[in-house]
Amino acid sequence: MSAVAAVLEKDLRLLWRHRSGWLSAATFAAISLLVYAFAFDLVGDEVRPLLPGVLWVTFLFAGTIACSRAFTDEVEQGTFDALLLAPVPRTALYAGKVLANCLALLAVEVAVMLLATILFNQTLISPVLLLDVTVGTVGYVSLTTLLSTLGARVRAREVLLPVLSLPLLVPLLIAGVRATDAALELPAGSAPWTLLLVVFTLWSLIASALLFPLAVER
Amino acid sequence: MSTAIEMRALTKRYGGTTVLDRVTCSIEAGAKVALTGANGAGKSTLLAVLGTLAAASDGSFAIAGHEAERDAAGLRRSIGVLAHSPMVYEELTPLENLRFFARLYGVEDGEARASMLLERVGLWRRRHEPTRVLSRGMHQRLAIARALVHDPRVLLLDEPETGLDAEGLALLDAELLRAPSVTVLAATHQLARTAEWAEARVTLHRGRIEAVEGTGVMAEVATREAVRR
Repeated sequence: MSAVAAVLEKDLRLLWRHRSGWLSAATFAAISLLVYAFAFDLVGDEVRPLLPGVLWVTFLFAGTIACSRAFTDEVEQGTFDALLLAPVPRTALYAGKVLANCLALLAVEVAVMLLATILFNQTLISPVLLLDVTVGTVGYVSLTTLLSTLGARVRAREVLLPVLSLPLLVPLLIAGVRATDAALELPAGSAPWTLLLVVFTLWSLIASALLFPLAVER
Repeated sequence: MSTAIEMRALTKRYGGTTVLDRVTCSIEAGAKVALTGANGAGKSTLLAVLGTLAAASDGSFAIAGHEAERDAAGLRRSIGVLAHSPMVYEELTPLENLRFFARLYGVEDGEARASMLLERVGLWRRRHEPTRVLSRGMHQRLAIARALVHDPRVLLLDEPETGLDAEGLALLDAELLRAPSVTVLAATHQLARTAEWAEARVTLHRGRIEAVEGTGVMAEVATREAVRR
């Protein structure tokens, strides 16, 4: 637990000092919202059914950009090896990274939801929606953090991560959009979408935590 | 005298290329051993395998009594590693770097240990500056402190002289290469300097041990024909 807290604290400190990565992701998310607003002419009551899809696609793209740096900086500075030399379970290193990425991305996502609330004049902040977004964020961050490890030593990593992660994230995208439909009181069908989101997140977390020690092996 | 490092037919292959070929060697506790050989001889790979950064393709090894396959965490706790890169965070200060690594290694009173090491490597006055503004030599001094943060019994050093001035080299000798009761295995190209600190020299060629000189090391030396093959 101490190792997880140490990595989390260190990563949050580094994220704060090296803000350009996260600011790029946040700026990308804000511009995406504006592009959607202009492209689909999102005004009035017609906007509400489209918002879940707009939000989740923005979250996934912004998250992919942000998480792509999770291990790249460590590999470039050689500190990834220093982490691997520590006498702690490698899963603890992974957990610290995932927690730091989740906290930073949740901050970006809440900012996006506030911006969308202002831009589209729709109430988006609610406890149920925040819960869905939090669960979904843990799900896709756990997967993209693992995949960013695989791509950290590859030259074409910026392309590799979206190509690997986005197809795997389709089930989460569907469940996230539908759960958000339900949270916004839109027709969402009878399936338990929040439960499916939780199941995907658990699968993603457990599988990634088990695969991480193998992914970092040379 | 007990054995600090025990390698048994240690082999490392990358694809079809054999980088380490059945390296068998034991190093006594407290011995100071220089690992020499031309570029590509397998020195860095051997240190990476011993540091558990790369998995052995075949063979086995133990450090300070910890078998790599059964007790990797215990083995990692016993070793301090100095590699080509300083392995420190550029955006953190020297003090924050050492505090972090002390915490990761579970060092009791990591704050005091970090402060003491910064004094010893001559970085105390610059402890609050971002590491990225420090010179290459100061990075190496910080790397020395990082390698020592958990008081390891075995040091694996890969060209530790890199970037150090005369004062830095003296520090390297005092803190690492001549540290009492610490086993040292250091890859180096500075053959003239090895006479100052090394009790033994192991020479690698194409992934095999070609020669052993000095005391504290027992190794299976490949025949010249086998090495040249």
